[in-house]
Amino acid sequence: MKKMLALLLVVAMVLSLAACKKTEEPANSGSSNSGTTNTDTKTDTKTDTKTDTKTDTKTDNGGSTEEKTTITMWCIATESDSNHNAYVKAIEEVTAKYPNVDFQWEAIENETYKTKIAAAMAANETPDIFFTWSCAYLGDFVNQGKVYCLDDTLAKYSSELPESMLGNTTYGGKHYGVPTTMNIVALFANMDLLKQAGWDKVPENYDELIKCCDDLLAAGIIPFGCAGGETWCVTEYLEPIIQKTIGSDALNDIFVNGATYDNAEVAKAVDTFQMMIDKGYFDPAGASLPNDDVKQNFIDGRTAFYQNGTWNCADFSKANDGTFLPKVKVTEFPVIDSSKSKLGQLIGGPSDTLAVSASSPNAALAAEFAAELGKAICHYGYLDGCGLPAWTPFYDTSEINPLTVAVSEICKNADSYVLFGDTAQSAVDKEPYLNAVAKVYGKELDGAGFIAELKQSIR
Amino acid sequence: MRRKNQTLTVILFLLPALALFIGVLIYPIISSVHHSFYEYRTFDDSGAFVGFQNYIDLFNDHYRFGKSVVNALILAALSVFIQLPLSLGLALMLGKGIKGERFYLSVYFMPVLISAVVIGMLWEKIYNPIYGIITKAFEFFNWSGLPTEGLLANKKTALLAVFIPTIWQFVGYHMLLMYAGVKGVSPELREAAKLDGATDGQVNRYVVIPSIKPVIKVSIIFAITGSLKSYDLIKVFAKDARNLPYEVPSLLLVRYVFGNYGGIASAIAVMMIIMCFFFAILVNWLFKERNPYGKR
Repeated sequence: MKKMLALLLVVAMVLSLAACKKTEEPANSGSSNSGTTNTDTKTDTKTDTKTDTKTDTKTDNGGSTEEKTTITMWCIATESDSNHNAYVKAIEEVTAKYPNVDFQWEAIENETYKTKIAAAMAANETPDIFFTWSCAYLGDFVNQGKVYCLDDTLAKYSSELPESMLGNTTYGGKHYGVPTTMNIVALFANMDLLKQAGWDKVPENYDELIKCCDDLLAAGIIPFGCAGGETWCVTEYLEPIIQKTIGSDALNDIFVNGATYDNAEVAKAVDTFQMMIDKGYFDPAGASLPNDDVKQNFIDGRTAFYQNGTWNCADFSKANDGTFLPKVKVTEFPVIDSSKSKLGQLIGGPSDTLAVSASSPNAALAAEFAAELGKAICHYGYLDGCGLPAWTPFYDTSEINPLTVAVSEICKNADSYVLFGDTAQSAVDKEPYLNAVAKVYGKELDGAGFIAELKQSIR
Repeated sequence: MRRKNQTLTVILFLLPALALFIGVLIYPIISSVHHSFYEYRTFDDSGAFVGFQNYIDLFNDHYRFGKSVVNALILAALSVFIQLPLSLGLALMLGKGIKGERFYLSVYFMPVLISAVVIGMLWEKIYNPIYGIITKAFEFFNWSGLPTEGLLANKKTALLAVFIPTIWQFVGYHMLLMYAGVKGVSPELREAAKLDGATDGQVNRYVVIPSIKPVIKVSIIFAITGSLKSYDLIKVFAKDARNLPYEVPSLLLVRYVFGNYGGIASAIAVMMIIMCFFFAILVNWLFKERNPYGKR
């Protein structure tokens, strides 16, 4: 009996081992992450009959045999992401153009994605196409030789993709990314709440903003919501304040050109931010909340202002079945020191980018696919209100939501752009920068402490 | 000859396990020690050899490692002095054979089966400063004293707020370990004590607890090393925020390893291994049976 039982167990074990064996043939398309599984959104988009193998063959009407190539992509357009709809539509459109491509894409939550892509880069297991942020974020990968140069591919699109949109993805004179949309940091105002405080317009200068905040507090309304649970949301407040105090050039010098943080004007700007916190302008409940909750608080009418990226136009236009949109106005943060800054100096620029892995065995095809996809994402993203187009629009834009139109007006009058601090600075500088920003919001560092800490840890 | 063959067989049978042990445990430890002596700004590039500089830098305020170790030790202390006595109490109670023993056992063990992410999100909702049940309870009873920024954002309450669910989650785990120990105590011993007039408390104090000392030792080691390595639940609360009052070494390790501070992250990993070994050895030493009359 015991022997029988042992035999049965052995058979069960052998069978389970056999079941674990990978039956898939290795991809001759060479996609390095073939066969990987993930709990995130994984979509297999094919225009032809679905098969399990990474590469298959099909016979067309003429009887000739042609090979299907697998192209894989990772991005952050999960179902809760503003860009999800744009990605889905764009992928549908582009895959229809490439019937011989078996396109597999995976959407991963923003913070998890940063970890995953870094690990994949190290292990040379990146997908053919990957989403990235421009400037230093992509630059780190380019410096490691992990990114395919797109000069030849993008040359074909020069009439549709202005060179000015490629600056943040150009390294050593070579292009490495396909920009999709561009966004800026903007100040969104709930006009219903402002009216309750006696304001029928958004504040146009800094003194008016302070007066408006005081009036809101007097009316029992919290002026700002800021998600302390995600430090990048704090930078969306601090960076425009620094920019409107010291000017774009000085901030750009610090973020990109290696200038020191040891700048008394930066300290002054940080103190201005903390003065606003001290006066109770910020919702204390936001200190530990994630961005989604704080955004929802703004939609629900808990806070009067919300300063964040303009990709939020898409969410605001759909919120509460469209009834929230008429209440919202968008503007830029007012100038604090007019001797150094002026209206039109903005935080943002083309940051959302698609890049191609240098290790992709189908890099040329993936590059072409990425360019087409970038163009289509830009198209649908712009229509949805996820940002302004990096590509020249070729379609009817009369239906664009009024918030996005207002953002495009702000950008039309732009004087200069400084890219988001956590994207513009290298990964090594980003860490102490975000730590110091969090300490400022937590009132552990004042202006002097902020510049002293960053002077010591960065420059 | 037969003996030699037997030895060879034993070695052959041990070889796969040994290879696995070296491959998944020893090699990564050696590799971490090696990495900790380099900059490792990126995964691919080891950077300059910096010797023990990463270890020296760890104790610089900039990396917040010292504070995170203190937090982990607080969590370990709470685990040993609150979680384990709770588990022991439950184990002793259930081990007596009360009505519905299996049901209670399942209920107490349930949090262990739930994913840490689910528990984290659940407690996050409980702590929510706007609609959380604690906030609502304070509002309902007109109590004051709840920080407006919420328990998770207040520097005085955040550490405890995060550690309560961490401790709560594993009460059932330790209870089950101890319950198995309690059930293993010979009924004759209990009966003998009872015949001598011992109360339930005395039976537990003088018979059951001394009998399950090895289990308690294992629980303490698990509780301390688990606290030093705690990550998942705390990460759910931390999200992407920096400068938190409840940072623990694992949280910093992951942040630094993906934040281009690979050398520092490796140094943290090595320090964590050393701390875990140290506490495991310390607990073993404390529980060592000693001859009351000294060495003979």
